[in-house]
Amino acid sequence: MDDIGILLQVIFWGLYAGCIYILLATGLNLIFGVMKIVNFAHGEFLMIGAYITATIFFLTGLNPYVIILFSMLALIGIGAVVERLCFRPILGTSKLNEIFLSIGLIYIFQSGAAMIWGDEWQSIKSPYEGITIPLGSLNVPLDYIIIIVVTAGILCALYLFLRKTKTGREMRATSQNRKGAVLVGINVERMDILSFGLGCALAAAAGTLWVVSGQVFNPYMGSIPAVKAFAIIILGGLGSIPGAIIGGLIYGIAENGAAYYLGGVWKDAISFIILIVVLVVRPTGLFGESGE
Amino acid sequence: MRYAVLFLAVMLIATALITGCTQQQAAVGTSHQQAAASNGEIKIGVVASLTGPASNVGKNMWQSASLAADEINADGGVYVKSFNGNVPVMLIQGDDESTREGGQKAVTKLITDDKVDIVVGGYSSAVTSAYEQTIAEHKIPFVVTGASSPIITHRDDIDTSTVFHHCPTTDAYGQYTTLFIDQTVRPAINAKFSFPETRPLRLAVIYQDSPFGKGVLTAVQDTIAQNNLNIEVVAEQSYKMGESDFRTPLTVIKAADPDVVYAVAFPNEVGQMLPQARRDVGLNTIFAVPENNDAPEYYKAIGKYGEGSVIESRFSPYTAPAGSIDTAQNTFKEDYKAKYGNYPDMMGASTYEGVYIAVQAIENAGTTDKAAVKQALDTINMPQIIEAMKDGTISFSKDHRESQFDLWIEQLSIDQAAGECRPHIVWPDNLKVTEFVLPDWYQPGNT
Repeated sequence: MDDIGILLQVIFWGLYAGCIYILLATGLNLIFGVMKIVNFAHGEFLMIGAYITATIFFLTGLNPYVIILFSMLALIGIGAVVERLCFRPILGTSKLNEIFLSIGLIYIFQSGAAMIWGDEWQSIKSPYEGITIPLGSLNVPLDYIIIIVVTAGILCALYLFLRKTKTGREMRATSQNRKGAVLVGINVERMDILSFGLGCALAAAAGTLWVVSGQVFNPYMGSIPAVKAFAIIILGGLGSIPGAIIGGLIYGIAENGAAYYLGGVWKDAISFIILIVVLVVRPTGLFGESGE
Repeated sequence: MRYAVLFLAVMLIATALITGCTQQQAAVGTSHQQAAASNGEIKIGVVASLTGPASNVGKNMWQSASLAADEINADGGVYVKSFNGNVPVMLIQGDDESTREGGQKAVTKLITDDKVDIVVGGYSSAVTSAYEQTIAEHKIPFVVTGASSPIITHRDDIDTSTVFHHCPTTDAYGQYTTLFIDQTVRPAINAKFSFPETRPLRLAVIYQDSPFGKGVLTAVQDTIAQNNLNIEVVAEQSYKMGESDFRTPLTVIKAADPDVVYAVAFPNEVGQMLPQARRDVGLNTIFAVPENNDAPEYYKAIGKYGEGSVIESRFSPYTAPAGSIDTAQNTFKEDYKAKYGNYPDMMGASTYEGVYIAVQAIENAGTTDKAAVKQALDTINMPQIIEAMKDGTISFSKDHRESQFDLWIEQLSIDQAAGECRPHIVWPDNLKVTEFVLPDWYQPGNT
């Protein structure tokens, strides 16, 4: 294989990795944009999405790409409950409350998942596991093409929802100016619960795609992706959904590029080096606004 | 606010229930022993990762230790001269929580609160090293049955004279695997592809960036150099512990045209690495992995992509070497499965033996006095139990207090009935049950 072929392959692996990051970071940003809260337990919603997918798959044998709908719906419900019972009471209070609440939620979700599903590593097999598609000099697994297409589809649906529906416009208005939204009659508490549910659903989608791609999962799997999602939204700009998408892609490709050129130990470090450089040059992130 | 209070109350109850379940579980293995312990008992602290990322291994270690204790107690306990009779064994859990801090906390409690006579267990080398200081300060005899880094008994910054290593070290992993590759894989490739004998075997190593991974890599390099082997290391790729996406380092390795890839990784890592290598990157080569992967979840994770790969091992859930050890291993596996519903792994096997070693040392010492037990461990010489030992006996080396295992290499093939790969011992000659074969799909590196 020539160098260009290897490079293309590395970029493709980066695109695939970026899809998981984009979904997770977009959900996190949606929540932050509307509610301005910091939820460190966001990775746990990815974990729950992974377990829900696996459980339905083991029980019914349904195509895991179909299960993504059930997983997202379930997490909308779980997210709404968590928002209503945990975050709403502390909304507008000290950031420390949010941080400790979300850290507490991490332990509760991890312990709960370990009690329900056990804490052994698990994995499932996609029905398209052995199928690869020749794409130029690459031989790409069908699953990864589906994952990229599904991610693009979810993001398009989110775009249409936010731009073309009344609720979406209300959500954006709440994100831009909460007090203004209240003054024009928008029910901002409804927007809070909706955005939190939607954000969790995006994390669930990331969890489903995680397990469909054959990656193993356990109750503690959410922590590292969550840290990276936070780095991505800071890089892209807090509250900016395009920023989360571009940031996710940059991270996915940069991580794999660093692993190729510098070695695997630089994979995580490169993301934070980029983050520091971007923050020095543009403190609000790539797409952030100075007011945020 | 009313809902928030209600939610918090529910969460508190749930947390209490979870904690309660865990504590209840911890007591199950010891309750009847506690009842029998009124006239003295042997208290063995078992340090294992019962919670956290390594908890699957930790549970296996604890359950195996419990099985050993149950067997010993059912057999009448242990004769201890100073007690003037037989006494039961009482196990006490020390959950290191898969962290250094958790390990220090657990060992301190075992020594100061529970006042154990001896400690058995220890999984992660990093975690075990962290609480060795406490072991050294209290001069507690400690039989390490899971941590694989040789540093455990080689370090000189603290006194490790009470620490005894009863599991192969990363030096042994690397040495045995490299010798197998040289003695068996290299000739097979040369014969199949009509390569000259002078052609060096092209070895790539992908390793975890940790004392475990680096230790095995160093052992590979040392074995090649010391034995002047005709092996060329064509690629070395590291990754961070817990990584799940190996496609890029595997792509780099593929570009180096290796004949064999040595993946020095944990089961949750190799379980993803092998499918990614074969399916995504198209690395149709032989993968070799260290013994810590020889566990049921590993076979489940690699699926059909494990076909043709090899594992250096000393205890497998699915095979045993020819000879007397076969029966002993099968009895242990079946007893364990009957009690816990699944098969034990090798960390469980060595911890099971660790309890027997601890008990034998106390019996030999005739007392639970720590200095006497330490001396008994220094000179212990007991028959092998369920794992094959050099010369068929368990004893500890004079220099670094390490027991010497007889390791072997297994090759995996698809078992249609199980729907997964199953291992077959192919090396060395005195233990093998079948021959190593290069799969039809195998592609060698550059000629």
